[in-house]
Amino acid sequence: MDEEMVRRVARVARLELTDEEAGTFAADLEDILAAFAVLDEAPATEGFGFNPVPVEDRLREDEVVPYPDPARLRQEMRAKDDWVRGPRLT
Amino acid sequence: MIANTLPEAVRRAAEEYGAFVERLEDPLAYEEGCAFHFSAKDNLCAVGFQARAGSRVLDGYRPPFDATAVERLRQAGGLLVGKTAMDEFGFGTFSTNSAHGVPRNPFDRERACGGSSGGAAAAAALLEGHLALGVSTGGSISCPAAFCGVVGLTPTYGRVSRWGLIDYGNSLDKVGLLSADPALIRQYLPIIAGPDPRDPTSQAQPPLDLGGEVGSVAVPEEALAGLSGEVRGSFDDALAALEGMGIEVRRVAMPSLRFALPAYYVLATSEASTNLARYCGMRFGDINEHTDQSFNDFFAQTRSRDFGREAKRRVLLGTFTRMVGFRDRYYTKALQVRQLVIREYARVFRDADVVLTPTMPFVAPRLEEVGRMRPLEMYQADFLTVPPNLAGLPHISMPCGYPGGLPVGMQAVAPHWAEGRLLALADRWGAGFAYRRPEVRA
Amino acid sequence: MKIGLEIHVQLPTRSKLFCACSTAGEEPNSAVCPVCLGFPGSRPSLNRRALEMGVSIAKFLGCSINEEVWFSRKTYFYPDLPKNFQITQYETPLGTNGRFEVGGRSIGIWRVHLEEDPGRIRRVGRAGEEVALVDYNRSGIPLVEIVTAPDLTSPEEARAFLVDLLIELRHLVGVSPQDEQTVRADANISVGEERVEIKNITGLRNVERGLRFEATRQSRLLAAGKRIVRETRRFDEERGTTLPAREKEFEEDYGYIGEPDLGTFTIGPMARAMVLPETPLARAARLEREGLPAATARQMVLTSMELADMFEMLCPRVGREAATTWTLGALTANWKELQGRLDDRTKEEIATLVEGVRSGTVTDSEAKLRIAALAGKEVTPEAPAEGGDLEALVARLVDEHPEVVKDYATNPKAANFLIGQVMKEGKGRYSSKDVAEKMRKELEKRV
Repeated sequence: MDEEMVRRVARVARLELTDEEAGTFAADLEDILAAFAVLDEAPATEGFGFNPVPVEDRLREDEVVPYPDPARLRQEMRAKDDWVRGPRLT
Repeated sequence: MIANTLPEAVRRAAEEYGAFVERLEDPLAYEEGCAFHFSAKDNLCAVGFQARAGSRVLDGYRPPFDATAVERLRQAGGLLVGKTAMDEFGFGTFSTNSAHGVPRNPFDRERACGGSSGGAAAAAALLEGHLALGVSTGGSISCPAAFCGVVGLTPTYGRVSRWGLIDYGNSLDKVGLLSADPALIRQYLPIIAGPDPRDPTSQAQPPLDLGGEVGSVAVPEEALAGLSGEVRGSFDDALAALEGMGIEVRRVAMPSLRFALPAYYVLATSEASTNLARYCGMRFGDINEHTDQSFNDFFAQTRSRDFGREAKRRVLLGTFTRMVGFRDRYYTKALQVRQLVIREYARVFRDADVVLTPTMPFVAPRLEEVGRMRPLEMYQADFLTVPPNLAGLPHISMPCGYPGGLPVGMQAVAPHWAEGRLLALADRWGAGFAYRRPEVRA
Repeated sequence: MKIGLEIHVQLPTRSKLFCACSTAGEEPNSAVCPVCLGFPGSRPSLNRRALEMGVSIAKFLGCSINEEVWFSRKTYFYPDLPKNFQITQYETPLGTNGRFEVGGRSIGIWRVHLEEDPGRIRRVGRAGEEVALVDYNRSGIPLVEIVTAPDLTSPEEARAFLVDLLIELRHLVGVSPQDEQTVRADANISVGEERVEIKNITGLRNVERGLRFEATRQSRLLAAGKRIVRETRRFDEERGTTLPAREKEFEEDYGYIGEPDLGTFTIGPMARAMVLPETPLARAARLEREGLPAATARQMVLTSMELADMFEMLCPRVGREAATTWTLGALTANWKELQGRLDDRTKEEIATLVEGVRSGTVTDSEAKLRIAALAGKEVTPEAPAEGGDLEALVARLVDEHPEVVKDYATNPKAANFLIGQVMKEGKGRYSSKDVAEKMRKELEKRV
């Protein structure tokens, strides 16, 4: 994990790092990943879930339940004329 | 009690100990009376309060809905008196990564509360008869409970609905309870537990069974290395006391525990880095008005300005561990290790009712000491709380000693869904062990 | 030329893929909730009907169905994506390795999976300085993504593929006929060695336009001895051209992880238990195998499946020729009104009428009048027209369909299609016997 990699990861994560941050984070992550290398020693297991307890076949019926107060949500989003404003696309 | 009235106590807890980042100030709300009072960690949404999860990026966010746990406690007659201080998004072991003030340990104001539910533990320690909602991902209920001398229960993953919980790691987060009085935990766990269609992971649970007995505890040798003298001393005394109560103490080896910490941090940060992607200056929280810049710059501007250092560190780590070329070695491997750890515990549970260890390897550190710790050091301090959290197993931390006047906690872990066993142990332990309250001038 | 498509079709569920908001929101940001807005603390729950629709599509396309599936987070940053990740299926699509026939060619289907639609962006402001206004009504609408192998060989074939696929999906799960809104595609096309991707084309017409332009662009480059750059382009609807997509200054690494909030889904048994209805083009293919000319079969099923039902009901009773003539003639002419009134009694009466005409107990025009009456029309019997009018009509239609003349040389049944057209245009004025006679005369003249 060197500075170049940290900057690349930061771009993917949409974080702008100062030079100081890039240097510090590179050192931190180097440290941390070296300690995490012990994972390589763990035996592989067959199969895995994304949850520690089984979560299977949880489905919702296809029925409309309108949210009671969409105006409140538009207000939270600071919508103007009901549209949500976003940044420049180019 | 630190004051004669509840509102005064809440105010002191907020102003002198930083337990609350936002509190109920309207005196009329207090006058109406309530069946009980409770607080919610600031990553739990509650109507009438902001929900900032310790982060600047959510400044001004007023959720339009209650988290299920909050909703159920309110429906049961509870008065929500405030939102408690926490590490940003749950990233931390000492609640020092808070953008809204660092809570101070009620036993010693110069010391940390633990984290990330530091404010919750402080409120539970300071306020008489208080129930605090906390959240644990890697130990964020156990750790502050231990440092602040209260009881903290982390239910099985999926026992309490996470609807309305601002996510850190979706396969690791659990809503739980802290209180100086375990009877309150026993009383209100059934209220907050139970399936909720708004959180499908809460629908797999069997009914909550508050029965259970503990006749034997297993102590893994891996948990006895790297402990401070005070913690080791208190824990050994506790084991002797348990034996005196007729509970069998078995020494076991759990070699896969050493993989739990890295697997936890990989999974937690991988999930967190995706959960935090939504914080970008649009739609809620700290909304960015400078829309005249390109969208990538716009997003990066808000995130870089508002995320704290630890949040950035974890976002970087978690983005890396799921990137092409690294994903198999880290993310996929960590998923497998979780299964390994679950199986290790299952093996031990065949011969013992709970696994028992100290909660933390040292007593609450001084805040200036925390400031000097390197990130890796802080992560490694979690080595005792992380394993049950990774495995989604229910666990409880109870005070078991006060060396030098500072609380030490011990942590019992039960099989999935066996919360009753933990409460039974807490009852038995509490009957023979005198819990202390922090000395606070009224 | 090699063309592959990544097609996104909105599924016609009532509620969204992961929340109970309506899929039919009209005013901007009206059919929204904390889940489809990605508000902190919200989390998804999967729509059962969407899963069933997706599985039925995968099964229909002949895919191998994955026994167990889950969802993944695809993380990237854009104003229309509320969570800045899209919940999709990466490692476990619903099905893989299927196929779909168009124009007699089998096109490979690589995968079929479910994912959520992002919101809709409206660009305002001067070109080069546009800002985004976003409507999240669309956010969370269920999409089925169908990825083809690069087996298509021309823009026209790609269009035909999409037309036929949507005909089938419309019948299978009720996909909306408004493809301009509900169908989007990314297209990969290589004239030479290098592949160019055109992203996010809306509607079938634009897919063809975009591919035509791109095929020409690539051919011209190659003819001039230039290299084709492997790149991603976008389609400009107004100009009908493809343009290079904006430079990606930022790396996108989607960093897929499983979606823990949803868990896993066992779809193998569901897929095996599903009985799929016969879709229109599959039915036309079967009718063709049973002896009906391809064009006739297709016209019949596309007019209406119920019309094809009538045809198949008549066949065993009056023979295929008469069934064809009457289906394409009087029934088609009155179809708009008839199709709402086809109870068992009415169907039986029609069948009896046609049988009657064949046996001579009912005249041709009597039967037609009766059918029109069954359709609820008031029809006054018209005097039989001059033979001349009929001849002119026949001649005109034969002029318009030279391919039928060609077919007729080897297959006399090819005349049936035109007989039907004459009957339709004649609005029941002419007996089918007369029309058939005049038609045969005209076609023999030209062959």
